Amino acid sequence: MSNIKIKSKNLDVFYGDKQALFDVNLDLNEKEVTALIGPSGCGKSTFIRCINRMNDVIDICKVTGNIEMDGMDINDKNLDVVALREKVGMVFQKPNPFPKSIYDNISYGPKIHGKGETKSELDEIVENSLRKSALWEEVKDRLDEPGTSLSGGQQQRLCIARAISVNPEVILMDEPCSALDPIATAKIEELIDELKKTYTIVIVTHSMAQAVRVSQKTGFFHLGKLIEVGKTEKIFKNPDNKMTQDYITGRFG
Amino acid sequence: MTKEERLKKRHQAEKRFRFYGLTSIFVALLFVVILVQNIFSKGSSAFKKTVITTEIFFDQELLEIQNGASEEDIMEADFYDLMIENLIKAYPAKDRDEEDELLRLFSGDAEIEIKKAFLKDNNLIGKTITLDLTASDDIDQLHKGNYPRDLPEERRRISDFQLVIYDYFVENKKISKNFNNYFFNNGDSRDPELAGIGGALVGSFYSILICLLLAFPVAVLASIYLEEFAPKNKITDFIEININNLAAVPSIVYGLLALQILLATIQLPRSTPLVAGITLALMTLPRIIIPCRASLKAVPPSIREGALAVGASKFQSVFHHVVPLALPGTLSGTIIGLAQALGETAPLILIGMVAFVVDIPSSPVDPSSSLPVQVYLWSESAERGFVEKTSATIMMLLTFLIVMNFVAVYLRQKFEKRWN
Repeated sequence: MSNIKIKSKNLDVFYGDKQALFDVNLDLNEKEVTALIGPSGCGKSTFIRCINRMNDVIDICKVTGNIEMDGMDINDKNLDVVALREKVGMVFQKPNPFPKSIYDNISYGPKIHGKGETKSELDEIVENSLRKSALWEEVKDRLDEPGTSLSGGQQQRLCIARAISVNPEVILMDEPCSALDPIATAKIEELIDELKKTYTIVIVTHSMAQAVRVSQKTGFFHLGKLIEVGKTEKIFKNPDNKMTQDYITGRFG
Repeated sequence: MTKEERLKKRHQAEKRFRFYGLTSIFVALLFVVILVQNIFSKGSSAFKKTVITTEIFFDQELLEIQNGASEEDIMEADFYDLMIENLIKAYPAKDRDEEDELLRLFSGDAEIEIKKAFLKDNNLIGKTITLDLTASDDIDQLHKGNYPRDLPEERRRISDFQLVIYDYFVENKKISKNFNNYFFNNGDSRDPELAGIGGALVGSFYSILICLLLAFPVAVLASIYLEEFAPKNKITDFIEININNLAAVPSIVYGLLALQILLATIQLPRSTPLVAGITLALMTLPRIIIPCRASLKAVPPSIREGALAVGASKFQSVFHHVVPLALPGTLSGTIIGLAQALGETAPLILIGMVAFVVDIPSSPVDPSSSLPVQVYLWSESAERGFVEKTSATIMMLLTFLIVMNFVAVYLRQKFEKRWN
């Protein structure tokens, strides 16, 4: 059994008066892929946005309860979110490269964190990040072209490279393949398999098949509650809960 | 109703709509063409002035200075007698009355024009040169065909005798049209042939410069703070509503405000580009904040999230990513706001820019006019010479506005980056 990287206890999230997460207790294992599944609006994305405090951006959002990473309280008001987000990277549903060159997209993170003092160090970080995201061979000759000129799948891998560039411990992926075609999706999934050797990965997905392919652990959310969590094989073959059973067999969702 | 009938009706509705749309565009274009045609036909002649080619003999006896005199001596010297002696030779006049009428065909600056020729070459004494002297407004308008000469004499500003002299000049090819440098270089004047927009141009330039320096940084910082950093609560809502209200406040109200606060209370100098600039800045501020905020709002949130997710601070995500992307929209909003300020008249009239200022301002605290106020001033003058000058000033003003708007569109299209 691997170590627990992130641990949430009695986590509640409110958007104004509306409660979006109810008492979520979920442990994420180190260097493993955890998939979060469930119908739209069930709180999967809300949950992963708690891990890097992206919910801070939303004024009316209030988070209570406990969420820890390596024993550090993420919800602590005094915690420096900049330092937290350096450790917890994120990839979004829609590829969102900066409208800058490919090189600048990757080098931006290291620059603001003071990693890579010299040009050659930065070059190295950019190359490594692009290699890890399996994009290097495709873009090595046109690093100064705008990141937005790439195809959708390449853009998403660029965003993954951007997340990797600051050398995080955890990578959050919010439906990273929902805007991509099957071939690009396959590439990303291959990549996730490779990345889990180095990083703890949480992926929100609507594709049951994808959850089965990439994850070791799966959590099923419904209406803001974590219904069931366990090893991926068990969840998809032999879930304990009737609702999980109904969802994975496509009876609702 | 059958299916065919209904289909036919739908097509007819579309046809009717297209017809209405085309008609409105045609009507709008027609008005623009009439306006521009009217201004051009009246104003284009103001860029030329009528000159009378005259022989000037620099008679030592009529001048107190010698060849090679210094610039200061020349400036102080009296050229009046020299001018009179030379001008009356332009036409064989019989008596003093006729000579007076002849002299009135030249502009009030004839003496200065002769002096300037001597300033250029101070060895002219004893020599004769031919000079193109500016004609009076009456001759100018007559020569440009704006003055009806078939009116009875008592209803004309030009006497029959002056018409005889004019015809003599035309016959001897002594009268011609030159580029009107006075229109661009001179300040205002009571004499239309000497009046120019030089003072108004400089005044407008200073006013807009001060307006830009005050309004742009304040508007941009206020927009960035309100859009990106301010909490969304009742106070910011209230501020937002009031910015929109301020943008709709009639400009004359800002003039009243400036009159009370800047002139009466703080006692800044009246009629100056400084006060005009501050007033226009107050007026322009909300008109820049609105497009600035709109362009900040148009930057997709995914860019902000992308920056935050790699660990950028709020400040970094705003200034490294959002502001550069919003800059083209911000700049074009600013330019359009300034273009509005450039054409603003009412508040400037209230703060005394409507004063008659002959000198070209050398600093923003000198009394001055501005282009739109100059239009207003001249449009009220009776002389025919001011009619064409009014239209010509409008042409200049419109040129500046069109250029500014063009720059705004260019900036937006050139530097706007596409996301996705």
